[in-house]
Amino acid sequence: MKHEPFFWISVSCGIVIMAFILLPLIQMMSAPSVGMLKETIQDKDVVRSIWLSIYTAGLAALISFVLGTPLAYLLARSAFRGKRLVESIIDLPIAIPHPVVGIAILSVAGKNYWIGQILSELGIRIMGSVTGIVTVLTFVGLPFYLNATKTGFEGISPRLEKVSRSLGASLFSTFFRITFPLAWRSMLIGLIMCCARAISEFGAVVIVAYHPMIAPVMIYERFEAYGLKYSQPVAVWLVSISLILFFLLRILTLHKVKE
Amino acid sequence: MKERRGYKWLMYGVVAIVLLLPFGKSFGDTTGKIIIFNAGSLTIPLAQMEKDFEAKYPRVDVLREAAGSQKCARKISDLKKPCDIMASADYTVINKLLIPVYASLNIRFATNRLVLCYTDKSRYANEVNAQNWHKILGRKGVVWGHSDPNLDPCGYRALMVLQLAEKYYKIPRLYEHLIANRPKENIRPKSVELVSLLQTGNMDYAWEYRSVAVQHELKFVELPDQINLGNYKYDNFYKQATVKVTGKKPGTFLTMNGKSCTYGVALVKNAPNAEAATAFLQYMLDPQGGLKVLQKMGQPPFIPCRVPTEAMKSLLPKPLQNLVEVKD
Repeated sequence: MKHEPFFWISVSCGIVIMAFILLPLIQMMSAPSVGMLKETIQDKDVVRSIWLSIYTAGLAALISFVLGTPLAYLLARSAFRGKRLVESIIDLPIAIPHPVVGIAILSVAGKNYWIGQILSELGIRIMGSVTGIVTVLTFVGLPFYLNATKTGFEGISPRLEKVSRSLGASLFSTFFRITFPLAWRSMLIGLIMCCARAISEFGAVVIVAYHPMIAPVMIYERFEAYGLKYSQPVAVWLVSISLILFFLLRILTLHKVKE
Repeated sequence: MKERRGYKWLMYGVVAIVLLLPFGKSFGDTTGKIIIFNAGSLTIPLAQMEKDFEAKYPRVDVLREAAGSQKCARKISDLKKPCDIMASADYTVINKLLIPVYASLNIRFATNRLVLCYTDKSRYANEVNAQNWHKILGRKGVVWGHSDPNLDPCGYRALMVLQLAEKYYKIPRLYEHLIANRPKENIRPKSVELVSLLQTGNMDYAWEYRSVAVQHELKFVELPDQINLGNYKYDNFYKQATVKVTGKKPGTFLTMNGKSCTYGVALVKNAPNAEAATAFLQYMLDPQGGLKVLQKMGQPPFIPCRVPTEAMKSLLPKPLQNLVEVKD
């Protein structure tokens, strides 16, 4: 392969792509001074918004995990009429423009719609609340978890499950004793993808909740009110903290595999 | 014979081209893109103006980017985004952030005023009027909001209306009382974003410019001139309202004083397409052109438009000088 032109084409395309992704990011990450970064992280509002971003994204991943895992399993294991349709519906949140997602969620949560009326009877508010933020983040993150997990389940031979079933294990116990131990790595990747997607969401959240401010909304607010100089450090902190978190998760998983 | 006929047609063609050349040149100069950064509240009238203008100059493509007026200015001053024309809902934003480095002109071209918008689904929609609106906004359970005073002039103006109401109706502490009934969560970056909250039933009342209310076909309460920030005759009364907004860096503040809503437009220095931009302004500031559109859409224009000094008038491109008067 080494001497074929195709190899060199692949390498040069690779270099272009790496530069395309990394150069703007490096430029942004290195723009703020150390003093500025220090000043920013001492700002309570900044810390609060980054923390809010992380835990709402985490909650979205958790909800996706609880609700999405059984569906992902169903889609991986069974063929039924309308399966393609279900799969396309799952992908919809990826394709819809973000502000439209926000407006759509608000229109369901408003007084003009029965769900909104029930929610307001129950005292649950979507507009301008953490509940609203988590709702939006789950909406945009769910497809990433579902797809990764579904692929993981598909990679496990159904035979293993059939053996377990033939030895008398219930579907439930088969899932937890056979399928889950084999698929948990792809589930974890799904969770990371879902979290990453959720942490980066801005357009839909700013429509549903401007306050309390998640970090991307704060970056926008700082940019508008004070300019680039004061929004960049917040972005650098958000990106670095998320990267460290995802990196730790990866290391943890690799570590366990070696064991 | 056939060949000769061919030559004849060719000759006609050449003659036609030579004859049309001068016209071609005069239209030829106004081509390409015109980039306009505009305040959100100008989006709809500008869309109409774009249509009319492009019908006149088919080779021009008007590209509009709507944002809060401050952001528009930041995009020019901080992000160095190319832009030909910047239209602000508050002409002082141009003075504050663009002049003298990024613009040298600031033409006031229209006015607006604040109204309280609602829909027929809003709480107390069938009682609200110009006399009792402040009582309704103070009631528990009524969800009302305004845009972010730090990002959108409509936001701090909404707060000013409330302060002026306190003075006009002579109700002590009315402002504090009302703000206490408006959780921070009801604030949005831009006032136009409040419209969808109203329409989806997530909010009962929102402060908007009259033009936005007209364009989005919302119901609205018109307030007395003394408090609606729409009549410059009351500028001295408006001046009593003061709102602190964030300054150039976090922790610093500027104090905005109440004054009538006055729109400003600037030709950006180093505009990528100054020629076409001038043509657009010539149309936009024409009482039979853009100003007429504004009138129709609920934004009373200045006829003629105004610049503050003779010096600024002399800086204007020649075709625009006849469309403005010097008035402070």
